[in-house]
Amino acid sequence: MGFWEKAQSLDQRWIYLLLVLVIAGILFKPVGLAVEIKKETQAAYDAIDKLPASSIMWLGAEYDAASAPELMPAMMSVMRHALRKDVRIVGGAMWEQGGNMIERAWNNIKAEFPNKKYGEHFVNVGYKPGGGIFLQKMLSSVSDAVLGVDARGTQLSQLPLMGEFKTLKDAKLVFAFLAGDPGTNDWVKHVTDPNKITYVAAATSVSVPGAMVFVQSGQMTGLIAGLSGAAEYEMLIKTPGRATAGMDAQSFTHVLVLLFIILGNIGYVMQKGKKAKA
Amino acid sequence: MWVSGSTFQLWMIAFFTLAIFSVLYKDNPFYRLVEHLYIGTSIGYSVMLAWFQFGKPTIASIIKDKPHYIIPTIIGLLIYCRYFKPIAWLSRYSLTFTLGYSAGYVISKDFRPLFITQLTATVQPLWSSQGLGSTINNLVLVLGVVGTLTYFLFTQKRTGVIGAGSTVGKWIMMVAFGSAFGNTVMARMSLALGRIQFLLGDWLHLIK
Repeated sequence: MGFWEKAQSLDQRWIYLLLVLVIAGILFKPVGLAVEIKKETQAAYDAIDKLPASSIMWLGAEYDAASAPELMPAMMSVMRHALRKDVRIVGGAMWEQGGNMIERAWNNIKAEFPNKKYGEHFVNVGYKPGGGIFLQKMLSSVSDAVLGVDARGTQLSQLPLMGEFKTLKDAKLVFAFLAGDPGTNDWVKHVTDPNKITYVAAATSVSVPGAMVFVQSGQMTGLIAGLSGAAEYEMLIKTPGRATAGMDAQSFTHVLVLLFIILGNIGYVMQKGKKAKA
Repeated sequence: MWVSGSTFQLWMIAFFTLAIFSVLYKDNPFYRLVEHLYIGTSIGYSVMLAWFQFGKPTIASIIKDKPHYIIPTIIGLLIYCRYFKPIAWLSRYSLTFTLGYSAGYVISKDFRPLFITQLTATVQPLWSSQGLGSTINNLVLVLGVVGTLTYFLFTQKRTGVIGAGSTVGKWIMMVAFGSAFGNTVMARMSLALGRIQFLLGDWLHLIK
């Protein structure tokens, strides 16, 4: 059996092992590849940066634990950026675990903001079912849409921030974190497009092609694309974190996957040639 | 640290992660155990979350100040009638409301932002004053849209202009699928990376 035949029948477990070794090796010894800022990431950053102090932005967590490695670093960076700019945040989710994701992001960064208090600078209304219908209700009354309580069960009337956030139209910006449906389509058609509210998003790599059409049409102002976008945002706010740390590893795994694809195709063509000759 | 909690919790998360990864070597009892636990806990979690985040506050609202919420609540609950044969027909009313409402809603809400605006965005100048790059982008966009639409003209023979257009469309779609696949690979690598960061960082403290 020749090399190419062996390569074609290689046990896939060797590939998994190699991937793990490459990721672990680069995490131990990062090489510091440059992170180049894409214009969509810069636009997302600029959208928050130019918000006036004390304005309110909506943080939509349309993802769950499966997408947290990609979206959690972006969410933490966006929250850091907004709170540093004295922008207040109201978060909510159309995905079941979304409310918990917001809470986790807040718990991870709140020590950096001792002056920011829950209820005054940040509120999490948690998960509510209904998708687009929920958003539609939020446009007329946040209190009615979330049934008068936040994710922790506190009455909205006890949270000073919610006194100024009566409907979604009070948000100067919608920042959604997207991993699928419900997601971009709901935000665009129900809220941001009809009400001319600035819409920015962070999307998992899988969701990026779907979200890009809205960037191209101008319906989405900026986009943080996958883990690489999150790393770019971390660089923009000058707080490198997990995404930046993972960029080297991700780049090397991509090279490895590319190598396997090229080798696999060469092997396929070689074998096909041999079969044709025989 | 992302994943906070007691040492026991961290070890539990690490055990579950490794047990799930173990299937990459071969199927084993640990993987089976964790797979079943995952399905069970995620369903239980979803049910409890829906109850505490929505069900309970809804009932509280009905009792407190919004008695009219009882009407949609009853219409929604009718869906469970399908489990009782004599009154199973009542469940159709829930579906009737949902389908009717959704159909009307989609037509009224989708048309402008998801069709007209998207269509308008594809009308681009074929010669852009912003430079060669922008001109090429516009050309790819316009030719891509026209070509892809032409590909789906199944009532015409694929010869001449229609044939050339559909070939362009086919290639554009292949590039789009390739791009989508590349993004999917990237996403999966990010997930693997996230777990290894947890194992080496949060759990073993070998990396920052």
